[in-house]
Amino acid sequence: MRIKPLFLVAALAFSANGLAADQTLVFTSWGGTTQDAQKSVWADGFSKAQQVTVLQDGPTDYGKIKAMVESGNVSWDVVDSEGDYAVRAGMDGLLEKLDFSVIDKSRLDPRFVTDYSVGSFYYSFVIGCNKDAVKACPKTWADLFDLDKFPGKRTFYKWSAPGVIEAALLADGVPADKLYPLDLDRAFKKLDTIKSSIVWWSSGAQSQQLLASAETPYGFFWNGRLTALTKTGVNVETSWEQNITAADMLIVPKGAKNKETAMKFIAYATSAASQAKFAELTGYAPINLASPALMPQDVRATLPDKQAATQVDTNLGYWAMHRDAIATRWYAWQAQ
Amino acid sequence: MASSISTGRAGGPGARKRLSGPLAYVAPALVLIALFFIVPVLMLLVRSFLEPTPGLENYATLFGSTTYLNVFSNTFLVAFIVTAVSVVIGFPVAWALAILPKRWSMFLLAVIVLSMWTNLLARTYAWMVLLQRTGVINKTLMSLGLIDSPLSLVNNITGVSIGMVYIMLPFIILPLMGVIASIDASVLRAAALCGANKWQSFVRVLLPLSLPGITAGALMIFVMSLGYFVTPALLGGASSMMLAELIAQLVQSLVKWGLGGAAAFVLLAVTLGLYFLQLRYLDAYKGR
Repeated sequence: MRIKPLFLVAALAFSANGLAADQTLVFTSWGGTTQDAQKSVWADGFSKAQQVTVLQDGPTDYGKIKAMVESGNVSWDVVDSEGDYAVRAGMDGLLEKLDFSVIDKSRLDPRFVTDYSVGSFYYSFVIGCNKDAVKACPKTWADLFDLDKFPGKRTFYKWSAPGVIEAALLADGVPADKLYPLDLDRAFKKLDTIKSSIVWWSSGAQSQQLLASAETPYGFFWNGRLTALTKTGVNVETSWEQNITAADMLIVPKGAKNKETAMKFIAYATSAASQAKFAELTGYAPINLASPALMPQDVRATLPDKQAATQVDTNLGYWAMHRDAIATRWYAWQAQ
Repeated sequence: MASSISTGRAGGPGARKRLSGPLAYVAPALVLIALFFIVPVLMLLVRSFLEPTPGLENYATLFGSTTYLNVFSNTFLVAFIVTAVSVVIGFPVAWALAILPKRWSMFLLAVIVLSMWTNLLARTYAWMVLLQRTGVINKTLMSLGLIDSPLSLVNNITGVSIGMVYIMLPFIILPLMGVIASIDASVLRAAALCGANKWQSFVRVLLPLSLPGITAGALMIFVMSLGYFVTPALLGGASSMMLAELIAQLVQSLVKWGLGGAAAFVLLAVTLGLYFLQLRYLDAYKGR
């Protein structure tokens, strides 16, 4: 499970009564600053435009989605999930097909569009470094895996998800276009070399705390969290060298009570304007290709979509097929 | 329901018989527990035998993999350390509370209870900041020249144990305080008169008489520690994972409910076993 902020706004599950269903929608995400932005930009705007009450719930929990769909009592209408989960859940029949007559996908980044999901936002895993705490900052994944050049603790993402395995392989010299299928033996062998020096972060807030306090002066971060940390005055250096992209997706669990409204909400959330405003607030990249033109230049410069030249895309389809097997091995390796 | 329980227990000890009247009043609570606790737990147990294929596969996986056995041993190790340390630290505090003038003991008690009422998550985060390599504790020790490089106090079993001892202490102090307060002080005076030194009166008089309080508190802490989630998740590292974290991971992230159910059931079985031990021990004590 992921440790999430402490808020849990009760989700009201209205009975499938026509009138109520048209007026309410339950949106679920991961909490923290990201969901705050989703609420203020997407939910509040949508509420005003469509006269719909959008209730916030969270955190996203794949066990709960399965339970809801199995029991036929689905109280979440739109959920923000990890990209590889969204693809997998679509295959497993846990999701509603999206209605692309309502959602305009012509302007959406095709990397993050499937029959069952569209991107919520996308982000890059990058190398972050607290410049005040060390003499030199790691620039490449190979640097981050080099205990001689960069001694001491470093932090990595705890959960099994696209990212760390790719970083290990890139650090070991695998060319970016030869990452898939993932050579797990090689990745874990590389990870073994620094395992005792890894502190795992399980939430974005924790990653920021670790870097700001120099508990781990460098590590593997979500780019948006580094942007936010810089704004608070921490002297952060971000290396975009081979930044690894992954996306969150918006999905509608099968049997959602307010399906039609959910489609409208997704259309609103992925519109050029909504995506642009969300990106400005969070430092994550818009998945609407028309959004960057709407954003101030200085903000655009900090976003992952400006770093496309050195970008490495994770293969969400590959992850969807193998996520259970990789996760089982990942957690077993961690616990050893 | 109420009547079937009261007739079922009619032959039991007197204390239970007296419950048969009030049992009618607790029936709603019992129904609630049956519906929302016992039935779901049974369903979970059934799942652990049926998913993904019928059989004992989940239990074989659980007990057959070194990873999961590691989690079990971590869980018991942490629960044991936390219990032992809590008893050793808690005993003098409980003693002090029992013998101090009322004004002082009330003040101390208020401090302990207030800390219990403070948000668990906030307290655990505070430990994270205190214990980390760049935290107050390490910085102080280093500036005093007691250590050369920071100690690893967090993201491992040490961190989990420190955080949990702090949270569990009231659960030994409070019951123990009551037991010690009820010990007749003249017994200790008698021991001294008979020539026992301080150590002898402690080991041979005070300790045996406080044993019921120690056992009750220790068992409670042990059982609570076995299923503890928040503190291990925040102060522990990946290789010090405990059972509750594993269950959460299996249920929420991996969505392997069969295996998660099996792990939850093992935890429940151990907990219930210890609980019955506690009941028997306390009943035996009260019977005298």
